[in-house]
Amino acid sequence: MEKLLDSIMDIGEQMLINGAEVHKVEDSIKRMFSAYGTKRTDVFIITSSIVVTIHTDDKAYTQTRRITETTTDYEKVHRLNELSRSICKNKYSDKEIRNQLAEIAKSKKYPLWFEFICYAIISGAFTLFFGGGIIEAAVSFIIGALVRFVILLCDKTVKNKIFSKFVSAFIATSLAYITLRLSIISAVDKVIIGNIMTLIPGIGLTTALKDLLVGDSIAGLLRTIEACITALAIAAGYFAVAFLTGGII
Amino acid sequence: MTSSELIQIAAGLIGSLCFGILFNMRGKRLIAAAVGGLLSWGLFVVLSHIIFNEPINYFIVAAVISLYSEIMARILKTPAAPVVTTSLIPLIPGGSLYYTMASAFEGSFNTFLEKAVSTLKLAGALALGIIVITATSQLLFRHVKQK
Repeated sequence: MEKLLDSIMDIGEQMLINGAEVHKVEDSIKRMFSAYGTKRTDVFIITSSIVVTIHTDDKAYTQTRRITETTTDYEKVHRLNELSRSICKNKYSDKEIRNQLAEIAKSKKYPLWFEFICYAIISGAFTLFFGGGIIEAAVSFIIGALVRFVILLCDKTVKNKIFSKFVSAFIATSLAYITLRLSIISAVDKVIIGNIMTLIPGIGLTTALKDLLVGDSIAGLLRTIEACITALAIAAGYFAVAFLTGGII
Repeated sequence: MTSSELIQIAAGLIGSLCFGILFNMRGKRLIAAAVGGLLSWGLFVVLSHIIFNEPINYFIVAAVISLYSEIMARILKTPAAPVVTTSLIPLIPGGSLYYTMASAFEGSFNTFLEKAVSTLKLAGALALGIIVITATSQLLFRHVKQK
């Protein structure tokens, strides 16, 4: 039973790390254990920690997991979800679950250069979206790719998301300001907005509000604070440039 | 529909598609998210000619897209949340947030307050629209399972 708890905790941990919602993970863990016939399962999850206690006829087992880094990898979330469903049906042994988890850990990813292009396209597309012209979009496209490069550098050195958002916003805003001063573009706001769209915690905030209203108050509050701090970091990056230059327009 | 609206809808589709790739979505799930991006801004443009209230339009679009995602999730046997979040990318009030920051810097408190409130209204409407659909479906399914 202890080994089983260990492997199912790993599934939950991976789900949370790769961006599944708190209640979804909680639900999956409960269902998996009830498939194995535990008498009672207590699950407590917030965005940074998982605590599970299972009760069998004669004993209770508890394990915790601390989650420090999260990413968004919906391919893994999808496959973990499939695994958890099939566990409920087939009641795999813990070894089998281990093998499947190892298989999922190897799941495909898009190459890094493709991410650079995506950042560039998103920035360019949203500059057009908010009413920028072709030249603004082209400038935004290039800055978008540079922002991804800045994020890569930050990930390699400081490993702090808040700081990396601040630096990204700072670089994006100053590059936009420089192109404005060189009279390459005329609408600096459209370029900055295009680049902000890749940094903004929009998804974080909506999930946060949703968690709050569904009743996962603690997880919801943590996510809300996280989203607000991220937004502040972006604003700080913008303000830093604005103060240095005396206003961006 | 004006040409700028068509550009917006196309940009919305591309935005959702690229974010889907950044979130490592693949195959049919990526297509579902990209189509969701197209639908979300397309619907918003149509609504904006009928109802002249941005937050209300945001709310309606978010609710419709959530419903779409719940349906796609059942068909593709995948969680609904990734599809919702990626489809609604075009509605993230990035522009509104930027003008809030800009007015904060310019020091005009009234303009700042006005912009900040409108940004919060949009974000709130977006979240409420999603919640109405997903929360009901969640509570409904939780309830059914416990019986």
